Amino acid sequence: MNKLPAIIVSIMLIFSAGYLFAYDPVVQTSRNYEFGTAILIASETGNSDHEFTEDEPDFLKEEIKCEEILTISDPLYYWNLSIFHLNDKIYFWLLKPVAQAYRVVTPTIVRTGVANFFYNIKMPVRFVNCILQGRILIAGHELVGFIINSTLGVLGLDDAADNYTWLKKGDEDLGRTFASYGIGDGIYLVWPFFGPSTLKDTIGMVGDRFLNPLSYIEPVELSLGVTGYEAINKTSFRIGDYEAFKKASLEPYEGLKNAYIQNRRKNIQGSPLNVLSDCFLK
Amino acid sequence: MKKVTAFFVLIFFASVAFSSGLSPIDSLKGPIDEGLSLLKDPKNKDSSQRKLQRAKMWEIIRKAFDFSELSGRALAVNWKKFTPQQRKEFSEVFSEVLGNTYLDKIQSEYKDEKVKYLDQELISDNKAVVKTKIIRENEEVLVNYSMTLKENEWKVYDVKIEGVSLVQNYRSQFNEILSKETPDELIKRLNKKLKEQEKG
Repeated sequence: MNKLPAIIVSIMLIFSAGYLFAYDPVVQTSRNYEFGTAILIASETGNSDHEFTEDEPDFLKEEIKCEEILTISDPLYYWNLSIFHLNDKIYFWLLKPVAQAYRVVTPTIVRTGVANFFYNIKMPVRFVNCILQGRILIAGHELVGFIINSTLGVLGLDDAADNYTWLKKGDEDLGRTFASYGIGDGIYLVWPFFGPSTLKDTIGMVGDRFLNPLSYIEPVELSLGVTGYEAINKTSFRIGDYEAFKKASLEPYEGLKNAYIQNRRKNIQGSPLNVLSDCFLK
Repeated sequence: MKKVTAFFVLIFFASVAFSSGLSPIDSLKGPIDEGLSLLKDPKNKDSSQRKLQRAKMWEIIRKAFDFSELSGRALAVNWKKFTPQQRKEFSEVFSEVLGNTYLDKIQSEYKDEKVKYLDQELISDNKAVVKTKIIRENEEVLVNYSMTLKENEWKVYDVKIEGVSLVQNYRSQFNEILSKETPDELIKRLNKKLKEQEKG
């Protein structure tokens, strides 16, 4: 536990870094609002030659309201697009075949155990971020869950805490913590291997590495190897999902970007975005 | 006295009207359980039964979803650019594409997933959200159904999987396409997609 001071210092650093690039959330929200209202007004008054019905259904207004919160700027579009294509190749040529072979030779119970182990060992990420968001009770649940899984669950291989249904899982990370402080997304970014992200979530991801015990494995190669193994194990449960998504999409790049943003905006505590966002909380 | 009688008559009719329809959660439970039992039925594992199974599932989906509202919402602002005829065509082909995609996946990959009904939330007189959880091999997926009351029946107009709304996801794609192409071209693209799916 001699890494603890280092962890605390890095949290503080990340904290201040977060505030540095935070633009005023209030301004941010009202700007979005204006944008949304602009669409509304435009759709109500403009384009009269294209209007075919006078009785505009209620759902239009409702959907437009939801949409404004999901827009993100993508100034690096061409760069992002090429990484998106690269990741597509990485998935089909590397990740998928390896995960498929791994799935064949590894019983489900082992793969589940591995997934549980990785989930359990990353408790500090969720715990600290729950605290940072003021969700003290949930942080306590995380801690209790960790203790149960590490003892009764044999080093976390078994999700023993799952039997205690009152225990809640606090699925938090630094990106979500930033969001709960009202920090905006910044721009959209796609990373090789990691996939869709935003400027805010990228900084969060780097910060979370400090809280992740797996990044303290030495040498670095081994640490990276373990992370890679985790990805393979995870993918072994999800073969077919990406394919289905691609098959269902007309514009997979736009679809993935939108899905990422929607998923990240889910249930962010205390965010000013929530005021406007009953549409995607439900 | 007349007034009082009228009042009670009204209350009576109101309560009848209210109770004749199913609750949102029950309107969803019916079709989902029906679909799951079709998937579980061992005789449907046989590939010769696939087509029949699929046709039956389509029927269930058609009854449970309000595809015209779903496609209208997916177009949102762009809805106004479509003529009533185009809207109809769009809704038809879009629902086919959606249905095909998900039926393909469910039929080929169903691994005894279970559905747990968590909660229903009435948002207004004619809107509700039903919260469910799909229990997969190693994870639980939260799926929320947005439902609307039409002619005394609750129908699904949007599905949110882990917070990702289907309608909003498609809208981002349609927005992108319609910023460069016409409604007819979008319909054409969907038709092309449909043909690709049918070829397998």
